[in-house]
Formats: sequence, C-alpha cells, structure tokens
Amino acid sequence: MNLILTNAGSYPRIGDSPELQVLRQTLARFDRGEATEADIRRAEDEMVRRAIAEQIEAGLDVVTDGQIRWYDPISHLAGKLQGTTINGLLRYFDTNFYFRQPVIVGRLVRERPILLEEYRYARSVSSRPVKPVLTGPYTLAVFSLVERGEYRDLERRVEDYATALAAEVAELAAAGAELIQVDEPAIVLEDAAFDLFAAGIRALVEAKGAARLALYISFGDVSTRYARLQELPVDVLGLDFTYSPQLVERIAVEGSAKALGLGLIDGRNTKLEPEAEVAAALERLLPAIRSDVAYLNPSTGLEFLPRDRAFRKLRHLVTIGMRFKS
Amino acid sequence: MSREKLRALGIELPLLPTTAVGSFPKPEELQRARAQWARGLISREELERLERRATEFWIRTQEELGIDVLVDGEQYRGDMVTYFAENMRGFEIGGLVRSYGNRYYRKPIIVSEVRWERPITVSWWRFAQRLTTRPVKGMLTGPYTVMDWSFNEYYPDRRATCLALAREIRKEVEALIEAGARIIQIDEPALSVRPSELGLAREAMQIVTEGLPAYFISHACYGAFEKIYPDMLALPVDNFDLEMSNSNLDLLEHFKRVPFTKDLSFGVVDVHSHVIEDVETVLARIRQGLEVVPTEALWIDPDCGLKTRTVEEAIAKLRVIVEAVTRVRAALA
Repeated sequence: MNLILTNAGSYPRIGDSPELQVLRQTLARFDRGEATEADIRRAEDEMVRRAIAEQIEAGLDVVTDGQIRWYDPISHLAGKLQGTTINGLLRYFDTNFYFRQPVIVGRLVRERPILLEEYRYARSVSSRPVKPVLTGPYTLAVFSLVERGEYRDLERRVEDYATALAAEVAELAAAGAELIQVDEPAIVLEDAAFDLFAAGIRALVEAKGAARLALYISFGDVSTRYARLQELPVDVLGLDFTYSPQLVERIAVEGSAKALGLGLIDGRNTKLEPEAEVAAALERLLPAIRSDVAYLNPSTGLEFLPRDRAFRKLRHLVTIGMRFKS
Repeated sequence: MSREKLRALGIELPLLPTTAVGSFPKPEELQRARAQWARGLISREELERLERRATEFWIRTQEELGIDVLVDGEQYRGDMVTYFAENMRGFEIGGLVRSYGNRYYRKPIIVSEVRWERPITVSWWRFAQRLTTRPVKGMLTGPYTVMDWSFNEYYPDRRATCLALAREIRKEVEALIEAGARIIQIDEPALSVRPSELGLAREAMQIVTEGLPAYFISHACYGAFEKIYPDMLALPVDNFDLEMSNSNLDLLEHFKRVPFTKDLSFGVVDVHSHVIEDVETVLARIRQGLEVVPTEALWIDPDCGLKTRTVEEAIAKLRVIVEAVTRVRAALA
C-alpha cells in the first residue's frame, strides 16, 4: 500500500509577516482604484508560489495551488459562468467563513476555461504533482438562488453545472492533471438528493480521460451513506472523519473497494491530534482498503487555520504518515 | 409586551425605534493610529484619545441623525470575538484567518480555563452614555458565538466550552447593569450554524441573562434562519435583531407562517453594499415588516454592523433609515 500525503484544498492566503500580506493589500488598493487586475494577478501568483512551497516543505507528496484565487468555493466557479450574478453572503456550512450566493438569471453556459490557467501556473511553480480542486455540480446547484424559470428544478441546475464542470475536468486532464479533486460537501445536508448528486458526479467521471477523479466530502457525517458512495464510479473517495466517530469502524468492517482520502487530521482546529490516536485509526483503516493506494490529508482545506498553524498541521500529518509509508 | 418591560426600566421609546447594530467604520485618523500603534509608533494613551474622539463623533452623529437607541460604534474593537478573547483569561490570539472575500480576523485559541477578570466594555459604555441623554446599548458577543469563533485546545467539547463562557460573560452583563445599562445586546451571529445545537445556545443565553433587570437584544446575521425558526424564539431575550435585506426579506415568509413573538429589530439596509438604498426601498421594506410584526414590536436598523462601509456610506445609510421611519410614523399617527 502506497500512502500518499496530500492537502485537501485551500491553504491560507495571508500570514502575519508583511510579505504574506501582499494579496490582501493589493486587493484593498484595487478597491481604492490604486491597483490593476494585473497587480492582483501578480500578487496571487506570489501567494500561490508560497502556498506550494510551504506544502512541499512540510513534506506533502501531492500539493494544491491553495485555491488562493478563489473568492470562495462557490462563486469562483458559479459566478464565472454565463447566466449568473452574485448575491449576498451566506455561511459556508458550520464554518466561520462566508461565501457569496450565486443567482441564476439566465441559461448556465461556460464561456471559457476557469481553472485551466490556474492549474498550469501552479504546475509551473511546483516540483511535486499538483492536484486541481473544484467544487462539484450538486453543491453549486444547492447553493444557487433561482429567480425564475426552468432552474427552479434542482435537477436542471445540477445538469447544467455538471456540463460546465465536465468541460473543466476534461481540460485539466488533457493538460496533464493526474488526480482531480471534486468537492461535494452539500451531500452531507440532511435533505440531500443522492441520485441528483450521483448523476452530477457521473457526468464528471465521463470527462476525466486519463486522470483519476477523487470525490471529497467534508463538513458532515456520511457514515450512513458510505455504501452508496462506494458505488459511485470515482477513483478516490475522500472522507471527513472529524464528524463521524463510527466511520473508522464502519470502514474497517465493510472495507473499501476504492482508494480512500483519509481526513483524519482536523483541518479546522489548531489542536494537534495525539499521534497515537491517528496511528490507531490508520492501522484499522489501511488493511481494509482494497487498493494499492490511499491518501492521508486534512479533513478540509486549511484556510480555516492561521498560516503558521496550517503549516504545523501539515508537518504533523507528514510525521504520522511517514510511519505508514511503505 | 416588551414595551412595558422597557417602561419599567425607565425607558420610553417612540414607535419604530431606530438603532444601529453595533460597529461603525473607524475614521481614517483612527485607522492610521491603530496601524501605528501596532508598530509601536504611538502610545496606548494616544490611541485611546483618538478612540474616544471617534466614539464621541459617532454619538453626536447618531444624535444629529435622530437615532433613538445609540451604540458606541465599537471604535476600540478590532473584532467582535477577538476583543473579548483579548480581555479574558484562557485565550491566546492566533494568526489571521479569512472570514470572507478579502476580510480577515484573528481567531482566538482557547488554551486554558476561560475567566472574566475585570469589566471589559463598561468604561466605554459609561463614556458613551455620558455624552448623550438617549439610551446607549451595552454590547457583548454571546457565549455560543465566542465558542464557535474560537479554536479550542482546552475543553473536551463544544458544550463545555460554551457553558464555561456563558458563566463568565454573565459577569460582564452584571457589571454593565451595575454601571446603569438597561438595554443590553448580546450578539449571537453563529446562532444558526448548527441547528442541533440551538438548545445549547438557549441554555447558554439563559445563564447569561437569567433574572437580570435589562431589556435584552440578540443580533444574528447571514445564517440559515429558516432551519432554526420558530425554535429560536425560545432564546431568553426580548428582541431579535436580524439581518433581513441582504437576503431579500426571505425571513418574513417564515414569520407569516409562524408568528414572530418577540420584538424584532428589522435590518432594512444591506451593510455589504456600497449602494445607498433610496428612501422608497427602505419604506417598502418597513411596510413589509409591518404586515408581519405588530407595530409596537418593530425596531428599525441596518442588517448588521456598518464597519465595512466608509464613514460617508454609513451615515448615508442611517439617514435613509431615519427618513423612512419618520415618514412611516407620520402615516401611522
């Protein structure tokens, strides 16, 4: 079993020292009319480079671009499609982070690539493989407001978001991404429509070409949906263990036909979990995975932590993970 | 009816009392001074002098605009949770964390038992109240929100953290009442985060307010209130101050189905938009509110604290509120 150490998405875009404030300051200057779009782009580039460098320094095998350019997990994608406008703030699950809700006002159409250039840039500044991350069609659909018309039907929203995102996935795969992560946290919501969610995922899988598709689910307990998630045609299933005290045992007993992304390290609290606890969980989980690979990653992206703590979390993850590397 | 409670506390308010939610933008000189202070270029005393000047500016401004129940504007606070964490024991102040867009705050880390050691907001409340004959609200952040907005490295779980905070925050409420505050706002913007924890938030608020002689308001914003309504009405406060306009007054539909049984401070301007609403828009919102909530129970204010707006925008938004309320009052008279 090859245990791959990776990040689950975002990385802090700010830190306490002046050179880590460059993006914040450039955006503020832009608001005052004192900076250009190109200035923002340069500041983003710099923070992407730093995010990648820190992930590599921490010892990760596979990194992300830290989603530095994302205003939030929803509007960065939904807001860039034709047919949407951006509305007020809404809390992102049970985090202390707020996103802007897209409003669907016309036909949802992807006019141009959204993530491709971001991925290319990240790859050009990384010595380790870069995993592009995108939010899935079901989650975008659930968090979109609809003013009128056909999109009142959730199924129509999922379908059209899936079409747009499938094009993203196809481009990322063609550009060389070996592993693509799709986040679908909305499936943890109580009233989630599993079939619609699954249809959206299938559309993305069909577009993945030679890439492996990793479905990641955070912010809730998916123990009761575990068996159905296993039936999806994804290559990797990423799970947030911080909400699900029973999940380790369930997987140990039921096994996993897929590679798993093990979100055993809490991406949202500064406290470093006791090494022995995480190791005990890994000892139960790894033998149950019927795949030649598994991923160890934080339970969520790391933007919920201050930068120094995010780095410390990754170091902690690597320290524990190294004991299980074959 | 809560008006009777207010009267019993010696407070007479007009119909549709106007108020603000808490924070106002810091004038440029104060922003500069805060940055200079952080770099050790000016003294604490100099910073406080400017904080007092800014507080006085906002009290005068609210009086001139004709706001009925004033706030001190929180010119001395960086952030609603960090400020309390800095002034209580048990916290360490962490690095910056993003809250949305290009906004960041220092999220506190609970590293040992939390303890209230001395009054935190009382001297500012006193300072503000001495400047005006109108009531100034005491302003605190509630235990559930402080818990939810802090990292926890000490307590076994969220419940233990929240209840410990409630017992300590009650001491600040007692100190405010002792100083003379009669209207106290305990903000719980995290209220709707985990609907299954509403009972915990209620229990904590009970600990904070039980048996104390004040009119209690609780502010909440940007959450999925439909998930906790009407259960949220069990919170032991007199008035809920809710963000309404940022979400197109969606909540009113819920209040039509199950009556809102407390006083409502109704957010009629969006604090996250540079656009100044026109009086007609605000009037229409107030009228929609009046269709659902009794006139006697309705207060009018912005959605949330105005600190992210410029000074000019904040004043313009308050002015529109007062103008609209004046017209509605005239129509009701």
